[in-house]
Amino acid sequence: MKSYLAVLRGSFMIGLIYRYGFLFNIAGNIIYMLVTYYLWKSIYQGREVLRGLTFDQTYIYVALGSAVFILLKTYVDWLLSFDIREGMIASYLIKPIDLQFYILFNSFGYSLMSLAAITLPTLILMIFVLHIEIPLGIGLALFPLSLLLAYLVSFCFDYFVGLLCFYTESIWGLSITKEIIVTVLSGALIPLQFFPDTIQKILFWLPFQAIYYTPLTMVAQPNLSMDTFLPMLGLQLFWVIVLFVFTRLFYNQAIKVLRISGG
Amino acid sequence: MHSFIDYIRLYFIIETQYIKARMQYRADFIISSVGMFFSSLATLGVFWIIFDSIPDLAGWSFMQLVFIYGFYMIAISPMQILFDHIWQLRFHVQQGTFLKYYFRPLNMMFYYMSEMFDLKGLTQLAAGIGILIYASLQLHIEWSLVRIAFLLLTLFSASLVQIAITLLAACAAFWVIDSYPVLGLAWKLREFAPYPMNIFDGAFRFTFTFIIPLGFVAFYPSQLFLQPENVSPIIYFSPIVGIGLFALAYKVWTLGVNSYTGTGS
Repeated sequence: MKSYLAVLRGSFMIGLIYRYGFLFNIAGNIIYMLVTYYLWKSIYQGREVLRGLTFDQTYIYVALGSAVFILLKTYVDWLLSFDIREGMIASYLIKPIDLQFYILFNSFGYSLMSLAAITLPTLILMIFVLHIEIPLGIGLALFPLSLLLAYLVSFCFDYFVGLLCFYTESIWGLSITKEIIVTVLSGALIPLQFFPDTIQKILFWLPFQAIYYTPLTMVAQPNLSMDTFLPMLGLQLFWVIVLFVFTRLFYNQAIKVLRISGG
Repeated sequence: MHSFIDYIRLYFIIETQYIKARMQYRADFIISSVGMFFSSLATLGVFWIIFDSIPDLAGWSFMQLVFIYGFYMIAISPMQILFDHIWQLRFHVQQGTFLKYYFRPLNMMFYYMSEMFDLKGLTQLAAGIGILIYASLQLHIEWSLVRIAFLLLTLFSASLVQIAITLLAACAAFWVIDSYPVLGLAWKLREFAPYPMNIFDGAFRFTFTFIIPLGFVAFYPSQLFLQPENVSPIIYFSPIVGIGLFALAYKVWTLGVNSYTGTGS
């Protein structure tokens, strides 16, 4: 465990190098929030409720989604493919550590850095400058836990795509396809309630909703009852376990085809 | 000095070799093209979902937005296909490898950009053309020769706007070394180009019209075809905006190139 924490600390520190990028990231988030404000204003066009959501609920959902976007993006697929191409992966394999956990802690360090440097400042600006009021409720208290589970689900997706590189040795196309599928189907851009009914029913059985829809709903509609929230958290936990086991099994297969040239 | 024809011939020679080299990685090309296809349709998918709940967006029907989106996709393709090397500028500047571009009797921007020809961008172009044709059939837009000429002219200037904005952002590399955050922000802003500009109020509409003229990438020129009887005069400025902005970006590029001193190693 100690060695994994050292990895986490290391990547947190590396994240600090890109200090001035933080400003642009925060600026980008704020601009995005303002633009989506106008977009959703004209979608609602004075209507009180759409698909069971008020404008305020939808807007908090979407705005918070853009603030946590950088946290849930692990870049593990890119890092892993880079390590495979450059042969660096060999140096991890000879160490007495577990690759999946090594990569998890490494990317978690970056996300903690982003949390401190991008997400929190964005949230502060969002609340105090844009005056977006976040309603209080039990959902808000459960949000951090739900976000953590969402992170783990997102990590599994990225890790899986990274492992696919063992086969394809190219990443751009795979990663961008995954990115689009996850972003749209997880409800990062629009709450899932807006999807056509049949698609909603299908999405309920898929793991994507665990990434954005679940944690964001907890903040946007924090006054739903515990009876709604607990199954949502349970489902997230279920997907974390399933996907972790799945990617571990897949790793055992993928490692067999790995060929390293150089490094 | 080389003539324009010389440059075109040279470009063909360089890109044929480049494409031959790329074709060794056929699987990568196919996967990337699929990825490109999906990623370029994402915003359209979002519009489609939203229109399940509402009849129109700020007075625009879904099919009209599809038209604007098709226009947008075609307009951003030249940037993707011909100027994709722009993303590497920061590495070259950082590592000092940018110096090599000073040593050929060629226009430096030409030489630099010719090193990459993004094949997967062709998927985007094809999808854009398909979407534009589909939407204009659905909307019963009547095409005359004059209209087609207008379409080509506005597409040309729209793509110049897109190229110029990205180029300006990338040129930050000459002064701040790591231009990725600036470039990333410009890229993120680009996603707003297919939105109807009339959803924005004062400050934002002003910004997207005059300061970062994203409105000229798709929305303003599209009006020429969507509501020809009711176009705002601003549309007729679109060629000037395109050429003017590109000239500005070229000027900044030249300044950057002249002030770059290498890495010292």
